[in-house]
This record gives sequence, structure tokens and C-alpha cells, in this order.
Amino acid sequence: MKIEGEYTFDGTREDVWKLVRDPEVLATCLPGTQSLRLVGENEYEGEIKVRIGPIAGSFSGRLLVANEAPPVSCTLTVAGTGKVGFLKGSGDIVLSEQVERKTLMRYTGDAQIGGKVASVGQRLFDTVSKGMVKQGLDKLNEILKARSA
Amino acid sequence: MIKKFIGKRVVRNEDPRLLTGQAQFVDDVEIPGLLHAAFLRSDYAHARLLSVDVSAARRRPGVVAVFTAEDMGDDWQPGPPLVSPPPTAKDVIFHSRRQVPLVKDKVHHAGEAIAVVIAESRYIAEDAVEDILVELEPLEAVVDLEKALEANSVLVHDDLESNLAAQLFQKKGDYETARKEADLVIKRRIVIERGAAAAMENRGIVAHWDAKSQHLTIWDTTQAPIPIRNGTAARLGLSEHQVRVIAPFIGGGFGPKIMMFYAEEMVIPWAAKKLNRPVKWIEDRRENFYATTQERGQVHDVEIALSRDGHILGLKDNFLHDTGAYDPYGLTIPLNTQSHDMGGYDIKNYSSEFKVVFTNKTIVTPVRGAGRPQGIFVIERMLDIAARELGMDPIEIRKRNLIPPDAFPYEHKIIDQAFAPLILDSGNYKAVVEKALEMIGYDKFVKEEQPRLRKEGKYVGIAIAPFIETTGVGPYEGARVTVEASGKINVATGIGTQGQGHFTSFAQIVAEQLGVEVNDVRIVTGDTTEFHWGTGTFASRGAVVAGNAVHAASRIVRQKVLKLASKVLEAPEGELELEDGRVRVADIPQRSISLGELALLANPLRGAVEPGTEPGLESTAYFGPQYGATAFGTHAMILEVDPETMMIKIRRYVTVEDCGTVLNPLILEGQIHGGVSMGLGNAYYEKLHFDETGQLLNASFADYLVVSATEMPRIEVGHLETRSTLNELGAKGVGEAGAIPVPALFAQAIENAFHDRKLEILEMPLSPNRLFELLNEEKSR
Repeated sequence: MKIEGEYTFDGTREDVWKLVRDPEVLATCLPGTQSLRLVGENEYEGEIKVRIGPIAGSFSGRLLVANEAPPVSCTLTVAGTGKVGFLKGSGDIVLSEQVERKTLMRYTGDAQIGGKVASVGQRLFDTVSKGMVKQGLDKLNEILKARSA
Repeated sequence: MIKKFIGKRVVRNEDPRLLTGQAQFVDDVEIPGLLHAAFLRSDYAHARLLSVDVSAARRRPGVVAVFTAEDMGDDWQPGPPLVSPPPTAKDVIFHSRRQVPLVKDKVHHAGEAIAVVIAESRYIAEDAVEDILVELEPLEAVVDLEKALEANSVLVHDDLESNLAAQLFQKKGDYETARKEADLVIKRRIVIERGAAAAMENRGIVAHWDAKSQHLTIWDTTQAPIPIRNGTAARLGLSEHQVRVIAPFIGGGFGPKIMMFYAEEMVIPWAAKKLNRPVKWIEDRRENFYATTQERGQVHDVEIALSRDGHILGLKDNFLHDTGAYDPYGLTIPLNTQSHDMGGYDIKNYSSEFKVVFTNKTIVTPVRGAGRPQGIFVIERMLDIAARELGMDPIEIRKRNLIPPDAFPYEHKIIDQAFAPLILDSGNYKAVVEKALEMIGYDKFVKEEQPRLRKEGKYVGIAIAPFIETTGVGPYEGARVTVEASGKINVATGIGTQGQGHFTSFAQIVAEQLGVEVNDVRIVTGDTTEFHWGTGTFASRGAVVAGNAVHAASRIVRQKVLKLASKVLEAPEGELELEDGRVRVADIPQRSISLGELALLANPLRGAVEPGTEPGLESTAYFGPQYGATAFGTHAMILEVDPETMMIKIRRYVTVEDCGTVLNPLILEGQIHGGVSMGLGNAYYEKLHFDETGQLLNASFADYLVVSATEMPRIEVGHLETRSTLNELGAKGVGEAGAIPVPALFAQAIENAFHDRKLEILEMPLSPNRLFELLNEEKSR
């Protein structure tokens, strides 16, 4: 499934970049994240709880940051498994400076789910994932605004 | 002789029990000490199994055992082939790869079982399944049929050179020459996708090993209790007489339950014996979507050659057939497709090559129709397109090509699913089509009603689809008929029953011979202790093959009754009649004796019997047809499409069926109704969506739409009877008939409804969404 979109942050590109690369911030922003630990250079391990329609469960897995070009772009890759199935995905984010200290984030990615979540929750996956991304980015923007205030 | 019972609308003997909850199903079986099983299934469609750690599951309180492939040791063996391999001939390729009890090294489809937990309750077993740590290395999945055959495709089975499971070529006449002589050649690609059988009752099995009597009893939702008994005995090193398989009442078979030795059928009896405890496993609906076989995926490249006046000169159909991860059912389905490619038409030149393809999807075995709907869809679609191109009436082009009544037995000159010549034994095809036209009022609708409705802005279409159905194949079935001292009759047969009304139709056959009431005949099906020999309920053969065995045994018992009664009543056999449970001298009705008294006399407790005679009024007989009887039918429909929502309303639905002698019109109509509902699903609702990684995306009834009462039209059923020449009853099967022509009929009706658009339907199943897309594509062309 394709995930694509744009989001405008109320802060400079450098500030947005710092937030995106901070695991503690990410952990608080990604809805359902239970933990996120740095385990190697650009590699995190963590656990996330997800509910898609009738299926709820936690996935544990890894998050990898690659192709880093600070403070402009990077590639994120996630792979997680859990009792209710598995999820895999990778996406690119690109930050571009806008007028009035605003930053535009463009993200494009591909996500794949399998097992129980796919078979029963597929129909809702699109809506749920879009909702999660939106929720996460809103939270990130709030933190950004609080820091720069 | 005027028939008293056969052909009568007798209400079903079994219904009071079924309707009041008194019938036993597998899940009703309760045994003291019963354990419950749950399976760990793969989330991935294709993956290497690196490790399974079951230690935490074993430690969970209430868990009795956890088994993996490793734990089965030498008892780990793939399932047996279900049908004989094709004859080794030039141009025939067949690689047999069969399903396994539990995955050993590689997962071949999502939902394949990796481990089993056996616990005090299903709840505990399910929880313990989640305790198992399994390490799988995901591999790229083989999903698309054409890509699967490309040279660089990953392999479903690593030991094969490609994903080609089988290949077979058949020809009749000379298609290439016919093509050269043709005025019109049409070429199309037709794609048919998978659906589920979606029986109301999922699969289930209970196995009980009694160590003291050294006896294994299995309750199984199988359509083939005797082969399951034989195979289980062989797998466990027991005598066939130590194993009893009971297939009790079953909430629908529809084909997948004839698949033999599902993983669970191999694992549960083995575990019960090993643990010396009874074990039950009941499939849940989500498991059913992965673990129970499916059907219909094929891609056809078709060519039809015609003369200007609409005669079919030849047909060429090369197609791919999806067999899923394994091919236990051999070539049955694609051979059936070839057998139905020419439908009931007199086609002199035919050429067809099929390739069977392994994919990382659930195993494919017959589902009601079993390759037949695909063949009928192909020929009927091509005829609709041809009629349009030739500016001919769609009915006329069909009539012109139907096999005439004097051409039977008609040899299609190709081999059928049993590798025997495909012969259509008897029929009166044109009369059936005429009757369907008359019942739906074709001429009046087309001339008057349709133009009027179209003027009102309604999108209404009419369609007519004739079809053949090969039925009643061998090898054989048997039955034992016994007159008991009570005067009631007991009948045992080897086939299983899944709702076909055997308890009534077989009783009618017996009643006809022995002059008793239908409800005085007790029928036993699906219990291997009651009858030792048989193959199963499949291929629309129960009434034909087992029915004729019941008939043969009843006739012998009738002779025994007459012989004994003639002695007792001191009258010649020719002067006796059987009526109301008594044998009477026709002219002197007061001289009579009841069947019960005769049964007692035939089984005396003292005295001497004549040497060479058998005790009792009993006979066991078998019936095996020379080849399968072929039925014919025609469906007609008037359909209205809402051009905004693409939702449909079926205004009229007519079926005319010629399945030879009708045993019970009520039961026959029930079969047709059920078949049509599956056919409608195949046409407009039921499609299994797999993504490119082999994940099934709609494994629930919220997303996979089974036809319900609101989608079902009122069906008007008409009959014609052309007796089969292949059996004494003159019967032909009808179990799958209802489902076969529906997709073809549906496509025709929709095209007719949008007659002003250049819509060409070359795929099934459709859906409101898909129809909307097709109409948009047409607009932008």
C-alpha cells in the first residue's frame, strides 16, 4: 500500500530535522509506540501497539534510518512482527524550507502487512495508517512549537 | 409401470431432525477427557522455516502437548495423491507435490500449519499458539500465473525446474485448417479468479483412540469417509477394520471436503493415538479462508473460428490453471474445463493446451462446478461476441450449433477427467433451450417490454445460457438393503451426505421396489462400520452412482421377498404384488403376509435351511457406470442494473434442467437453488483478493461477500427428462448444475442491459466496483 502526503511544520528545517532524528521524540509522537531504543548507528528497536478494526496487537521490530542528507532527506525502513501478523515498510521524507519559518515535509512510502491484520483489517488499514501519520505529525508539530516558543 | 414414489415431491425424511437441532454434527461429539487442538499457521505465503521454539507453549498450564513436524518423526508423510496420475504419454507433464501435515522446512502458502497445540480447552490451546516463537525468513511469493512461468521466477517447490505443475494438450479434428476456412476468427483473453466454497459449517475432526479395544473412531466433516478410513489405517499402521470413520450431518460440502488428508486429518488422529486421549479440532472461519481448498483461477487465450452463417468451425483454448501450493487433485479441474469448453455444441475442430501452475496460495481442488463454469464461460462469451460481430441473434447462433437429438451418444473425441473418452450419452438440447425461452417469455420481452423499459431509462438485460454438466462418474458405489423383522427397511451406503437429501431420495428408490412407505426406510450414510466399500460424494454422482446401487440391491431383495412369499402364500411370483409393507396375491388381497413376518421366516432360529441359500431378506449390490452421464440445462435471466450504483436487481430467473429421471423434484429444485446462489457469488460478489505477497486481503465475511437471501432471486425451475442410457434409473447428476452457467449468463445480461455501450465482459467475478470501472474504460476508449 502506498502512503503519500505533505505536512507543513511551524518551525525551521533544522529544528524539524532535529526532532525527527530524536528517538525519544519519535516515541512520544508515533501513536501506540511503547518503546524506541537506539541500538546502533541509525538503528532503533522498539514496540508499537496498533488497532486496525477488529484486530489489535503489538508489533516489535526495527527502524532504520538511511540515505541521510541532513537536514533535507532520509529513508526510513521499518519491519515488525507480532501475534497478529507482520508489517514492513519504507519511505522517504524530504524537508524543504518555506517562507515565514515554515517547513514542508513530503513523504512517500510503501507499506505491507500480513497475517491476521491483513486478512481481516485490510479494508481499514489505509484509513488507520493515514490517521496514524496525521496524528503523529500533529504531535511532532506541537512539540516543535512548544520548543521554539 | 406407474411409479408410486420415484419422481414424487416427497418432503425430506431428515428435515425434522435437522430443523429441531436433533442432528449430530462433528462439533456435537463430546467424549470424557476430550482435548482440543489449535494450529499455529504461517503469516507468510512463502518463507523458509528457520526455527520453532515451543517450550513456552508447553509450559502453559492446561497444555497437554505441542507438536511440530520434527516431533512426528517418521510419521511425517505428505498426503496421498487423490486421483490417479495422468497416463504417461508424450506431451503430458505432471509433477505431483502434496500437502504435508506440518511445515518442515518451507512454508508454501499463508495459513499453512507449522505446529499444533493440544490442550484441555480451545481457549488454552489458542493462547499457547501465541506462546510459540517461530522464526521465518520471508521469500518472494509466486502469485501471478503468467509471472510464475517466467524463467526468472522464484520457485514454489525448490526441487522443480519451474512452477509448471502439469501440462496437457488435446485436440479434435484440425483447428488450424478450420481457421483458414473461416469467415470470422475472434481472439480474446478471459480471466477467471478464485472464490471460496464458504460452506456454512467449516471443517472439523474428532479422533478417539481406545487403547483397550485397539480401535480408532474418527468423526470427520469429509465427503469421503471410506477413503479417509483406508488412508488413516495405512498412515497409522492399523487394519482398516480397526478404524471407523463417521461423517455425520455436515453443513455443506461443495467439493473442498472431498480433498483428502488435509493437514488436520493427518495430525489429529495421529495425536489422539499418540496421547491416548480423544482430540477435537474445529476450524474457525478465518482458518477456513486459508486452510480449506478453493478454486476457479484460470487465464484463457481463446480463439473461435466461424462461418458467416454462424456455424462454429473450430475452437482453440490455451489456458493457465492455478493449483495453489500443491496439486493433490491432479488434473481433474483443467480436464473438466476442456470437457466443457465445447459445451453442448457440435464443434468438429478443437485444440487446447493447459498449463497447471504452482503458486504460493491455498491449495486448489474442485469447488461445486470444478472447472466446468470456466469452460462454459469461455464458449458462451465467445458465442456472444461472435453473434454481435456477425449481426446475428444470440439465440439463433446457439441453436444453429447445438448437438442434434439424433447424434447421441455424441463423442467429443477428447478425454475427460477420468482419462476416458468424453461421450455425451443422451440429450434433447434444443428442446431445453426452447423451454427456457418460452418460460422467460423471450420474444415478448425483447419485442415489447425491453424497448418500453429502455424508453423509461431503465437498464434491463436478458440472457440465455445453455450448458452441459458431466456427472455421475465411476468408479462405483455400493449399498446394502435389509428387510428387518419390524417390516422396516435398513439401507447402508458408503457415501457421505452433506445436505443432498439422500435420506429421502434413496428411500424413495427402495420404497418403489419394496412397496413400503418412504419413512419406513432408514438410510445410513457416512459410517464405515455400516458399509465397507465406496469412494465418496463428489462430481454430482451421489444420486446416480449410489442411487443405482440402492436400486440394484432393492431389486434383488424384491426377488427374494417374492420367492419366499410365493412359497408361503402358495401362489406364483407373477401373481404377487408388494404394497403397504405386505406381499399380496393380486386377485385375493386377503391372502397376504407382511414383510416383517417374511423377514423372520427368512432367518429362522431352529430347523434346517436349504443348502446354498442366504439368511434374511438382504442384498448388497454395486453400481459402476461405463462412463459418466451428461446432463444439460439452460438458464435465463432478466436483470436490471442501476447505472449510478451498479447494484443489480434480478427481475426473472428461469432454469430448465434435463438431468434424466427426476427422483424427487423438491430435492432437485433445492440443488438448483443452492447452485444458482453459488453461481451468483462467482459472478458478482465472491472474489478472493490476494496481494502480490500472497496475502489474502478479505478473509472474513465482512469483506468476502457471500450471496444472502437479499441477493437471491425467485427461481422458476422447469424440467425435461431424457433418460440416461447408462443406468437403470435413467438418472443424471444435478448437484453442480445450478452454479455452472451463471457467470456466463450474468455477463450476457449485463452487456445486454448496456446494449448501447461497447462493453465486453471478459472476466469473472465482477462486482459493482469493477463494472463501474469497465464502463469508464469503455467511455474513455
